[in-house]
Amino acid sequence: MDRRFYLDLAARGLRMPVGTDLVMHEESEPEQVRNDGAALGRVIERAARRWGTPLAIPLMDLRLEKIDLLSLLGVSATGAEAYHFTQPLDAAALETLCGDENGPGCPGTRARDTALDLNRSKDGLVPVGMAIGPFSLTTRLMADPITAAAMAGSGMDDALEVELLWQCLRIAEAAVLRSVRSQISHGARAIMICEPTACTAFISPRQLRAGANLFERLVMEPNLRLKAALEEAGCDLIFHDCGELIDPMVEAFANRLHPVILSLGSSRRLWEDARLVPRDVVLYGNLPTKLFYSDSVMPVEEVVRRTGELIAGMRQCGHPHILGSECDVLFVPQAAEAIRKKVDVMLSCVPAHSV
Amino acid sequence: MSLRSDLYDAILNGDAKKAHAATEAALAAGDVPMDLIQESMVPAMDEVGRLFECEEYFVPELLLSGRAMKSAMGLLKPLLSAAGQKMAVRVIIGTVKGDLHDIGKNIVSSMLEGSGFEVIDLGADVSPEMFVAAVEERKPQVVCMSALLTVTMPAMKLTIDALKTAGLRTQVKVLIGGAPVTMQYAKEIGADGYSENASGAVGMVKQLLAAA
Repeated sequence: MDRRFYLDLAARGLRMPVGTDLVMHEESEPEQVRNDGAALGRVIERAARRWGTPLAIPLMDLRLEKIDLLSLLGVSATGAEAYHFTQPLDAAALETLCGDENGPGCPGTRARDTALDLNRSKDGLVPVGMAIGPFSLTTRLMADPITAAAMAGSGMDDALEVELLWQCLRIAEAAVLRSVRSQISHGARAIMICEPTACTAFISPRQLRAGANLFERLVMEPNLRLKAALEEAGCDLIFHDCGELIDPMVEAFANRLHPVILSLGSSRRLWEDARLVPRDVVLYGNLPTKLFYSDSVMPVEEVVRRTGELIAGMRQCGHPHILGSECDVLFVPQAAEAIRKKVDVMLSCVPAHSV
Repeated sequence: MSLRSDLYDAILNGDAKKAHAATEAALAAGDVPMDLIQESMVPAMDEVGRLFECEEYFVPELLLSGRAMKSAMGLLKPLLSAAGQKMAVRVIIGTVKGDLHDIGKNIVSSMLEGSGFEVIDLGADVSPEMFVAAVEERKPQVVCMSALLTVTMPAMKLTIDALKTAGLRTQVKVLIGGAPVTMQYAKEIGADGYSENASGAVGMVKQLLAAA
């Protein structure tokens, strides 16, 4: 779609959380909804209508690509999350995992795709897809990805861990591409790519300063190829990274991936990041919703203060902005009401001061 | 002395091969394992922690140094065991039930080991019953729990409650951490301490033990 669409959403002051999980948990059997395409589609639509947004955003379930990938090796869905590759793969396994063909998909994947199908014809809705990013999936495929990445950054290219890292990146990129293509074929007009581990906890700024091209090879190159595939299909990129970032990372995401929306975590000050981001990229976020569960750490008054500060800062810098959450707002059983109340406050509060 | 400084440098620089070689050379030259730990390895990891605190080092550097330290410890542990020596403080660590995220927990584990603690890593998705059984069996002085998800944090409280029910709570210091965890939450659920990062966790364990 034209970037103007997203810029207009920002210009009209849209505020919205990534909150489909919250809405899903209003259902009597939420975990069944997760795997039921029709029910999930209704929940996604209800979330979008509630917050007055055309963006029909699905669950941020970043397990699905790994489950589907490992199913190609016969690993069960229940065993997938704890499964890690421990040694370099042979050529046959690589060929299987890097192919273009999707398996049948796990129930969650099928439900996500069915929900896209259902919402593509709904008035006023833009069906949005969701996928984990290639690097973040890579980090889920290895037991100790940080050490492997650090070894790669130290030039230990002959180490088995490093060989496995590059293999995992290759198969992760293929898996994400399959997921994205499937979602586009089911009607996704934009896809949110989530790369929360593309951050300083996994990629050392010290190594980057010393000249390692890790961030480029591990994060940018696969995501640039992904962006090209999305563009070719006429699908927009919404890029999300709630990890701890340094400025060059934000700049690279904003300028080189050039998403329609860039969604960042609450560790960033968006009004300061605006100088790093082209004016045609809408910034999204970034209230600290991960702490909304706690009334002591994040009381309502602090939500009001932070919301006001963010609104004022973004008005002052004038960068297109959609106010929202730093990540998906998850349902926490013991704190559901507190979270909902603070989401409402975040969406409705009027700034009382400027930065 | 230069062999010991080689070991110190290798750990500080996160070079496992050099750490292994320096340890072998130091042992061949007659160095005592516990002295190597106390005089080279622990100071090196302390320096790693200091560099992390002042943002010279980041998590990847912590892990590389931890890997180098483990490489050296791999040579020393059998010697310590054969000599009937053991580390003074035992720590049990695990990611709580329902949570499979173990990277943060692994970093803390590595830093604790590097600081001279004996660490028993229970892994991820550890139920309160498993923590209780491990405390009963291994008799640690400290229990560390990690959670990355807001939805799994309540398992920390359940574990503390289970330790109380089993009559073990007063025997151990309980330290918690993880992205959504806060000092306030630690107080609310009756933990003894909280740290927002691995380096701080080591300091907190030392602080809790000193106060015990």
